[in-house]
Amino acid sequence: MSLSRRNFVIATSVAAAGSTLLSACSSGNAGGGSGSTPSDGATSYTGAKVTVGTKEDSTGPAPEIAGAKKGGTIYGLAPDDFSHLDPQRIYYAYNSTVALLLHRCLTGYKIDSTGHQKLVGDLATDTGTASADNKTWTFTLKEGLKWEDGTELTVEDVRHGIERSWASFITEGANYVQSALTGKGGKWRDAYEGPYKGKHLSQIVTDKAKRTITFKLAEAKPDFNFTLAMHSYAAVSPKLDTKEKYDKKPAACGPYKIKAHTTDKSMVLTRNKNWDPATDSIRNAYPDGFEFDFGIETLDSTDRLIADQGKDQYAVSIYKGVPAERIQKVLTDPELKKRSFNGLLTGIYYYAINTKRVTDLKVRQALNHAWPLQQIRQIYGGPSAGDFATSILSPDVIGYKKYDAYGKLKTPQGDPAAAKKLLKEAGKEGMKIVYAYPQDPTYDKTKVVIENALKAAGFTPVIKPVDSTSYYDQIQQVDNSYDVMWFGWSPDWPTAYTVVQPLFDGGAIGNGMNNISQTDVSWINDGIKKNAVIADQAKAGEAWQALDERIMKEVAPIIPETFSRRYYVYGSKVGGAQFDPNFSATLLYKTFVKA
Amino acid sequence: MLRFLIRRTLGAAVILLIISALVFVLFYAAPRDPARIACGKVCTPETLALVKKNLGIDHPLPVQYWDWLKGLFVGRDYTAFGHCDAPCLGYSFQNREPVLNTILDRFPATISLALGSSAVFLIFGIGTGMLAAVKQGKTLDKVASSASLIASSMQIYVVGVFATYLFVDQLHWLDRANYTPFTDNPGAWAKGLLVPWLVLSLIFTANYTRMTRSQMVESLSEDYVRTARAKGLSRRTVFFRFAWRGAMGPIVTIFGLDLGTLLGGAIITEQTFSIQGLGRLSVKAVSTNDLPMLLGVVLVAAAAIVVFNIIVDAVYALIDPRVRLA
Repeated sequence: MSLSRRNFVIATSVAAAGSTLLSACSSGNAGGGSGSTPSDGATSYTGAKVTVGTKEDSTGPAPEIAGAKKGGTIYGLAPDDFSHLDPQRIYYAYNSTVALLLHRCLTGYKIDSTGHQKLVGDLATDTGTASADNKTWTFTLKEGLKWEDGTELTVEDVRHGIERSWASFITEGANYVQSALTGKGGKWRDAYEGPYKGKHLSQIVTDKAKRTITFKLAEAKPDFNFTLAMHSYAAVSPKLDTKEKYDKKPAACGPYKIKAHTTDKSMVLTRNKNWDPATDSIRNAYPDGFEFDFGIETLDSTDRLIADQGKDQYAVSIYKGVPAERIQKVLTDPELKKRSFNGLLTGIYYYAINTKRVTDLKVRQALNHAWPLQQIRQIYGGPSAGDFATSILSPDVIGYKKYDAYGKLKTPQGDPAAAKKLLKEAGKEGMKIVYAYPQDPTYDKTKVVIENALKAAGFTPVIKPVDSTSYYDQIQQVDNSYDVMWFGWSPDWPTAYTVVQPLFDGGAIGNGMNNISQTDVSWINDGIKKNAVIADQAKAGEAWQALDERIMKEVAPIIPETFSRRYYVYGSKVGGAQFDPNFSATLLYKTFVKA
Repeated sequence: MLRFLIRRTLGAAVILLIISALVFVLFYAAPRDPARIACGKVCTPETLALVKKNLGIDHPLPVQYWDWLKGLFVGRDYTAFGHCDAPCLGYSFQNREPVLNTILDRFPATISLALGSSAVFLIFGIGTGMLAAVKQGKTLDKVASSASLIASSMQIYVVGVFATYLFVDQLHWLDRANYTPFTDNPGAWAKGLLVPWLVLSLIFTANYTRMTRSQMVESLSEDYVRTARAKGLSRRTVFFRFAWRGAMGPIVTIFGLDLGTLLGGAIITEQTFSIQGLGRLSVKAVSTNDLPMLLGVVLVAAAAIVVFNIIVDAVYALIDPRVRLA
């Protein structure tokens, strides 16, 4: 594909600040509170439902939360300040946690108390209308939308938000929409000079009187309305746009606005009086304001929330989960467990098998049988660290269905006998397997159990630790000399195209690209093309799931590992705290101060 | 004295220049690209080039260094940020704010931590050291010596967490560590910093106790002390008028270096108690590839050490009449 979807690799072990910045992806999928009881820490994940909502679902106000009332202040703790507030510069999940309070996009996710979510119109009256060929998308804006200064929010502001992503100072945001509009893939900047010299993009047509905005895409995108939910595509008023300074103080159209902000220290949000709840079916906005404290180390903030004293009773951790050192305390103390919630991170961790080097299907299946998932998860922290993955799609992607092609749920510790049998059939007993991983205290431990499991299954393992800062660059080289490589992937929105295409399309093989297993099979490539244009996302999901299962059974290009889980604790006077399935954080706009 | 100060100040300037050049070279020797941080998750070569231009790092290394030096004296213009007034230490890649503003914002917390803990460890360290010297060989001396040995082998990240758990969470005797500017509320300033002061000084106190004791013991056996005693001066007068002056010289030297180091930021203490000072700023600058911020913090830290070295040498002459400044 011309479009470079190098969107995102789940990085884990970078520097202290780096890991938060990277491990959480941006807009995207569910992760789910744990079933119907989000406060129960030990329940297993039941699988999120992501559906496309109706016009009624898109009409405000948001459903009331039982027992909630307006007023008070919720305090937020975090180790690092948000790196960007200008919506067009927002891509990382932790920035989106505050963006949800300030900014609005054409579409958004309406999340219920169990973590299930619906794509609904946020600024738009519904999730948009696509032409038969899925190349023209039209949205109508709701009435009564206003900026924090009281001026009307129009379709031109929505267009400006997209057009200004061409500005030279904006380099951090997503670029799906730019590529889809121009059809120029990674060279989208060449097609337009940005809005600041008075020119508009010809591919976006607005009608201010009818409040409609139409996108004319160069390629068919049946899930374009999901893409537009990313904060990179939020509205910005040309009159309120302060260009590079907008990143420090953006104008709000969401329920809150910035009252004060000292970079890396504190931020105070106060009610945006010009936000009308009747226009918003997503956000509740019970507190009168939020006060964020930055620079609080995660262990320190967790201990403060556990101690539950003074203002900390009204506090939440904005985007940092309970660190491994405190998980057991939270799980075993009933009082604490009540003040906690958890959910799965978006995406999947897995091991890519280089199909150009390990050409025999039976060997790849033997590797799947041999892999010691249980021992690996034990090193990550045991069952609380996540659920075993047995599929390509994660539970938060539309169409996900649990299946277990290699009996990993029955023998998560690995099945050396089954592996040996397959190896013998293939005539590859004692085959050399080169395993590469990013050097880090955790993966230095998992490599030991992997090495042992490979030996037990009759392989001859060769372990190759790679410097973690250049790990991705190295495994993304087509001519690398690794057979099995640790990897992770998190989609930017919950449709399976964002997973299967970048990871298994023959066209996505190349230096710096993410088809690490170098899978190039004609029926997979055809399946991706076919599924990508199915308009009904529920039907598309079923087709993707079937493709997922067939890939794992007939090609086995990867060894799925875990869907990781994250826990949060919050103060005893905080109500409505729940997991944000998109950004793996505290869903701030549903919190309230308990009476 | 004036000649001494001029000579040392010039020397200090040269040292700082060398340090800044070294940081520049070392930063770029590491295999990491600071432009990646502002290049988002989808980093095309075009975007990367744009980021480099925006950050002012699209020129060869010597040109970049020259631009940075020039900025110190005449200010600097950035395409992505606008003008930065002299003395311009650059714009932070990460915060997108002038480095100097951030450093000035964080410095008071570091100064408060350094001065407060210094006061604690000087009083306790020198006090116990002197007592131990006077009571040489007695129980008090033995207790003080072994207690200081135990204290000096403690780690801040252990003692800090334990002290917070015990005195703050369980007993509620002290306030949880936090920084309130002195000018806002001196009471809250002291209360919020008390735990970090005590914990940070614990490690230093031990050194000062041991050093004071050995220096005093040595100085009490000096000829001039024996002579003074022989001439009929009381033990107390000899101890406080003569002996301690001889003993203080080395302690002042060490203290000057310690204070200089502390003013560069107490990384572990700041991290343990979540205090926003220069130490954490430097750690963050390293982990986020923020060269201008790193340079700024390193220079401030180096300047603190160099300046306190000069002060120590000057004070030395005042305390010990045997020393002359040349």
